[in-house]
Amino acid sequence: MTLPDASLSHIHRADGSATYLQNGYSIIGGVNGPIEVGRRDELPEEATIDVIVRPAVGVGGTRERHLESIIHSTLQHVILIQNHPRTLIQVTLQVIRMPDSDTFNSKKRQFSSPLRILPSLLQTALLALLSASIPLSTTFTASLITVARGSNTVINPSPEDLQNARSTHVLAFSAEGDLLVAESQGEFEIGDWERVFEMGLHAARSGSENRKGADSDVVMLDDDQGGALRGLVQQKIEKDQKWKENIK
Amino acid sequence: MPREPELSLNERSFVLQALQENIRIDGRSFDAFRGLELNFGDEYGVADVKLGKTRVIARISAEVTRPFPDRLFDGIFTITTELSPIASPAFEVGRQTDQEVILSRILEKAIRRSSALDTESLCIIAGQKCWNIRADVHLLDYDGGLTDASCIAVIAALQHFRRPDVSVEGENVTIHAMEERVPVPLSLLHHPICVTFSFFLGGGIVLVDATLQEEMLRNGELTIALNRHGEICQIAKLGGVAVEALTFLNCTNIALVKAQEISRFISKKLEEDLKEKNPSRLLVELSAENER
Amino acid sequence: MALSPLVLPGDPIPPGALPTSSNPSIPLKLGPGLRHIPPDRIVPVVAGELCIDHKKNAVWVETNGGRYIPTAGDLILATVHHSTSDSFSCSISPHTPFASLPHLAFAGVTRKTRPQLNPGSLVYARIALANKHMDPEIECVNPATGKSDGMGELKGGMLFDVSLGMSRRLMMPNPSAQGSMVILDEIAEKVPFEMAVGRNGRVWVDAEGVAKTLVVGRAIQETDEGNLGVDEQRKVAKRLLRDL
Repeated sequence: MTLPDASLSHIHRADGSATYLQNGYSIIGGVNGPIEVGRRDELPEEATIDVIVRPAVGVGGTRERHLESIIHSTLQHVILIQNHPRTLIQVTLQVIRMPDSDTFNSKKRQFSSPLRILPSLLQTALLALLSASIPLSTTFTASLITVARGSNTVINPSPEDLQNARSTHVLAFSAEGDLLVAESQGEFEIGDWERVFEMGLHAARSGSENRKGADSDVVMLDDDQGGALRGLVQQKIEKDQKWKENIK
Repeated sequence: MPREPELSLNERSFVLQALQENIRIDGRSFDAFRGLELNFGDEYGVADVKLGKTRVIARISAEVTRPFPDRLFDGIFTITTELSPIASPAFEVGRQTDQEVILSRILEKAIRRSSALDTESLCIIAGQKCWNIRADVHLLDYDGGLTDASCIAVIAALQHFRRPDVSVEGENVTIHAMEERVPVPLSLLHHPICVTFSFFLGGGIVLVDATLQEEMLRNGELTIALNRHGEICQIAKLGGVAVEALTFLNCTNIALVKAQEISRFISKKLEEDLKEKNPSRLLVELSAENER
Repeated sequence: MALSPLVLPGDPIPPGALPTSSNPSIPLKLGPGLRHIPPDRIVPVVAGELCIDHKKNAVWVETNGGRYIPTAGDLILATVHHSTSDSFSCSISPHTPFASLPHLAFAGVTRKTRPQLNPGSLVYARIALANKHMDPEIECVNPATGKSDGMGELKGGMLFDVSLGMSRRLMMPNPSAQGSMVILDEIAEKVPFEMAVGRNGRVWVDAEGVAKTLVVGRAIQETDEGNLGVDEQRKVAKRLLRDL
């Protein structure tokens, strides 16, 4: 399992931005908002969320639309959309690198499960939203879990694990441990899914364990995604608030 | 509805006043480019270009397809530019702005139609199989100088790219995986670079590499695409103020100097990347070229 | 001052972290970045530093990112876009709905002497009304006194974009002591200048001549972009003044 790496607010024009690297995926996310919304998309009581996923090569197709719809419905429950009615929050996710983009056969690429990239996209969107200071009700941890033949479940699988996978699952849990996203593809049994659920929950929990450290100055960076996320955001905030160091 | 915000009168008169006093807002001289940064990814054919605050990533990909029926001996090369809302909410998805059309036309003329890439070398079996090389240009941050930055990114990425080797036995084509055989660089005939000039105050003041603020105030623009040998591939002056012939000639001279500087910069970066990423790759590639 | 704890959206705030006022009659004030979920949960909605003022019994989350959200009482720099029959439509930040500035919301103005502002004029104004369901309304007059309080059209000078955090620092009563913004004091010793700071991340600077105005603008922007400390700011100030 590789720990993610990211940088925040490095794009000047966008209101918030993040680059996220994990498992060979590299994604740049930009958030603009709240901005003026077109008449057609205006909602009287809440913000319109626009999610755009752009592939590294070529223009988006069905695959990207599918990912967009999953991300859209997830973010709708995370962003406090009632806070900015009649506005637009635009989330653009540009894929820069995919581990399988070396393959020269585009057919093969299309058949690989679109779910593989979903956790990275979700995580990038979250970081970019945090960078843009869009009000959120919670943070979340998304993870990719595969079930291989022989019911061997692997979290954040390596390319070989993916090759041997019988089914692929993406789960995202809010910081409180509530299930936000559950997408599965492949052949699996209910028992498999339950183990996958436990595994995803555990990964998200160990991240939120660190929340208890929030009232002390030191936040432990654990070997988990939630903790890593907190560390990344912390770095950015510390940089922003550096000027305070000189004030007695 | 979404448009770039307009500048206030104060900014307009200040920038123009400053130009009259030979000052640019960011302190550059009139014929200076902003700081240029170029990074290559771990993969072949990805170039990340930063020109001041403007940032463009170009990615080259290759695929085997059937050639066009009217060009049986040529491979296919396309450049795709789609401006994404990451750079500015004024860029809408699915709707092409004039700016986008102009950008893709200029790149098309500068790189593709100037035969920078030898498309004949992309042919595998005449009329049946050829390489389709595609350049995707992603704009991430926008502060003017879009054409120049995109051109640098595409040219650098083309030079960095390696396609898998192929061997032909009769009608059978084998594509060798990157690990199996040393991948092959593209055959580039020359490396065109775009240099854009902006005219102010009726053409009396000429700036190189204008920022977005400057672009919003200019009276006209001129893009010259040329290679380091001084061979001009394209001159695009799309409307704007009339420019004196002498100024025009002067621009071409400056463009040549800039094109040479930028070409040298790209070659230097390519060499560094080759050495840094894999010193042994360099040797292998040299030997691969000797075989031919 | 040690850095206060970092909070992420949804983090529980331990009751002990909330300010405790000696005077129980002052109610707890929630600033930006927090929301109250009845009955007694207070939850951050943005990532940032949890700041507490025990004296005012206030708590808020400080962050330096994102777009400016109009808030009543803020001083901002707006650009006039066009004029309607009774108000000017002004832009506070790009790609957001226009704020309206009534023709009569200027100091000493009557129906007959209403101001003439051309599109593109810059005004220093206060946000009179901000509500998430309505477009903001701004004014260039203090309604209590009828005086301009320095607000109104700004002529000449130059506009510089800064981060929202920087504009908050510049608006502190004493930026050099409270916001470690010493660079302006350094420059002011050599170059006299006028300045207006808008909470929407814009700073207007006017000094004698283009070069001097740019020195002030660059000083602020360089400090902002590089997160410069006090010593680095002094160095930048020296360099900028030398180049003048």
